[in-house]
Amino acid sequence: MSLTTPSTVRELPPTTWGRVRQSRRTADKAMRIITASFTIIAISVLFWILGMLIVKGLGGLSVATFTQITPGPGSEGGGLANAIVGSIILTFLGIVVATPIGVLAGTYLAEYGKGSKLADLIRFINDILLSAPSILIGLFVYVILVEPLGGYSGWAGGVALGIIAIPVIVRTTEDMLRLVPGPLREAGSALGAPPSVVITSITWKAAKAGMVTGILLALARIAGETAPLIFTALNNNFWFSSNLMGGVSNLPVTIYMFASAPYENWQQLAWAGSLIITMSILLLSIIARRIVRGAK
Amino acid sequence: MTAVTDPMSLPAARPQRKTPKGTFDLIFRNASFASALFVLLLLAGIMLSMIIGGWPAFRAMGLGFITGSQWDTQADVYGAWPAIAGTLSTAFIALLIGVPLSLGIAVYLTQLAPVWFKQPVSTAIELLAAVPSIIYGMWGLFVFVPLFAAYVQVPLSNIVEGMPIVGTILYSRSPSGLGILTAGIILAFMIIPFIASIVRDMLDQIPSVLRESAYGIGATTWEVVRHVLVPQAGVSIIGAVMLGLGRALGETMAVTFVVGNANRLSGSIMDPGSTIASRIANEFNEALGLQMNALIGLGCILFFVTFVVLVIARILVARVKTF
Amino acid sequence: MLSTLELSPQTLDADAPIRIKVKNLDFYYGEHKALKNINLDFRDRHVTALIGPSGCGKSTLLRIFNRIYSLYPEQKATGEVMLDGRNVISNDVDVNELRSRIGMVFQKPTPFPMSIYDNVAFGIRLYEKPPKSELDDRVEGALRRAALWDEVKDKLKTSGMGLSGGQQQRLCIARTIAQKPEVILFDEPTSALDPISTGKIEDLLEQLKVDFTIVIVTHNMQQAARISQYTAFMYLGEVIEFAPTNTIFMNPSKKQTQDYVTGRFG
Repeated sequence: MSLTTPSTVRELPPTTWGRVRQSRRTADKAMRIITASFTIIAISVLFWILGMLIVKGLGGLSVATFTQITPGPGSEGGGLANAIVGSIILTFLGIVVATPIGVLAGTYLAEYGKGSKLADLIRFINDILLSAPSILIGLFVYVILVEPLGGYSGWAGGVALGIIAIPVIVRTTEDMLRLVPGPLREAGSALGAPPSVVITSITWKAAKAGMVTGILLALARIAGETAPLIFTALNNNFWFSSNLMGGVSNLPVTIYMFASAPYENWQQLAWAGSLIITMSILLLSIIARRIVRGAK
Repeated sequence: MTAVTDPMSLPAARPQRKTPKGTFDLIFRNASFASALFVLLLLAGIMLSMIIGGWPAFRAMGLGFITGSQWDTQADVYGAWPAIAGTLSTAFIALLIGVPLSLGIAVYLTQLAPVWFKQPVSTAIELLAAVPSIIYGMWGLFVFVPLFAAYVQVPLSNIVEGMPIVGTILYSRSPSGLGILTAGIILAFMIIPFIASIVRDMLDQIPSVLRESAYGIGATTWEVVRHVLVPQAGVSIIGAVMLGLGRALGETMAVTFVVGNANRLSGSIMDPGSTIASRIANEFNEALGLQMNALIGLGCILFFVTFVVLVIARILVARVKTF
Repeated sequence: MLSTLELSPQTLDADAPIRIKVKNLDFYYGEHKALKNINLDFRDRHVTALIGPSGCGKSTLLRIFNRIYSLYPEQKATGEVMLDGRNVISNDVDVNELRSRIGMVFQKPTPFPMSIYDNVAFGIRLYEKPPKSELDDRVEGALRRAALWDEVKDKLKTSGMGLSGGQQQRLCIARTIAQKPEVILFDEPTSALDPISTGKIEDLLEQLKVDFTIVIVTHNMQQAARISQYTAFMYLGEVIEFAPTNTIFMNPSKKQTQDYVTGRFG
């Protein structure tokens, strides 16, 4: 069967093309080249930094880095054991402070306060805290904890990191709970479960992966924070006391203090510490991103 | 009587069964509410502690705390102007460099990048945001600064020496590589991932039918981006830039490493200077008395500047136009 | 069912030349073959309707003519789509120029974020640099032809986004015809509009075919019957039947066509 209509088939004569001005093509091509090179510049900086860390940090990395404590001025060798353990404790403390508050506040915004003016305000303020300079958080904790208690402490450091982590957890918790379909909650309520039970045993379960990601992202965010620790946990060249009073050694401040010191072993350790901390954080971020992509 | 009360006792039995759960419900609800309020309390607490902590310095120095350019711990005279000017100029340089780069990256990622390339590049850009501030400082101080001194400051100073205006702004008295411009450049790379990711998300949110109809009229990619997509994203792009500005204003460690930490004001962006954050980080651990109040007072200024910037940013970002 | 259809009263010119000739056209979304061996002729200054159930490929076919599909790298067309003797799906065709010759009006109104005047002038400015007075005349002429001039002549500098849905769609039509294309593609242009706005757009199409070759995709059979002279019925990526509209609706030769136009499926 012919699908063309039965009539004299006459085609129009060819027309001449070439209406696109050269200047338009040039502008478009220039834009393509410029944006692509901007992207390459940004990626190169990332790889430049990573390359620098590997080249300078790998040499300083040894078993002693993980077993020996930070050396005093002028003494030989040494490692980062106390700084690594201190960092893990401070970061963990921060997450322990931030998780209950962040998850509950995020739950309020997504479940109880949905649509209320107060929830809108809190969400707005939380977004501002999310980008607030971390140095201000450090100063804040100095004023409310360090000064009244009469000295630097691991507790103050943990609280400062916790305050930085809270807005991250609030935001991701709310976002993830909002992705949970409404009928799931209604089904729970229809069984006679009170709101708290619906939230804890249905909504939270459904959003678990995303909420865990939020906590991981918060972990990645605070693990490398330096400025707030200068005002709170400060540093220490020894094993810190078990009650975390007094300065607590930690990686970021150790890097800060060792990097431009006149001792070669200090500089080496600063590079090794930089490599350890950056790789851990990038790994955490990548894992968190993977989970998010899976959850959505 | 009993026959009548019997059916009535059924609903009466219910609250009894509910009581334990009802208590948990109440506690849970109040705990969430309290946690949410805590977020408000945090901001209020930060604001109050900065005002109270800085108050002695404000009282002692008056308006001179902001306008004065002398910062002398021996004489207990504190003028924040050099730090404020340093903060504003490093942030301005960061935007000048960072914004075009960020917009270009967002356009490339949403309009031009091949599909297989998009995801890894997006991740790489986001990882730039995950790199800790202190690592940018290390990179800046040990890698970027020497290169910048040798290949930019020295030759540029030779060229501009003696010229009017540029001879002042771009001349480096001691080409060490440290300075306001260096800090601005490092900051630019630190804010790029934030601005680029937000703008990328905004461009992705624009309905594809609008993009198609712009292409459908015969526009090139550049024309579609410039005349249709960017105006459509509109003020929210400015919001994204303001978010980046908020970051740049308060960034501490990286700047402290490369800004040079000079207390005086220079007319050249090649000279060392300081920012509010770098000044606080540098002097805090040795600060006593009024100097400590002055540093917290600096924090107070930083708080209000970033607060205003971030409020504007969030309002603008929230106004993404949808179809 | 058939009797309720109001068939197009206009006669068709059987001698009209062919503006677009589609030969052995296949189309792929990645691995999936969405169009199979399409052969169709589109007559100059006639309205050709593409009808069929959702997913039959009618919109896909329309989006080939101006190469809008090539914005998506996973989509691919093979075969011939000849516009005035030139295969528009071959790589040596400048897609930007092609799109200025084959205009398109979309399902949803898509005013650009600029003034009403600039919306219409945008397409003209891309390809020509007429003096201000001529540009004004062109914009006015296009708005008049789109039956929008009287409603907007006092607010040309205001944003096109402030117009009603029907007005926005006529603005998009004005924007398209201002470029003086040879062909205009309509992709379900009234599906997002109320009946009154739909009526206005249909009246407009009636007048536009004097100057333009029109291809319209519609899911509304009454609309196809009212405004088109030729109709192609598509099903599962193939053209089942292509004939003058009256034939398709009154006397189709295929059973599937008959079933569809009488509302038995689709």
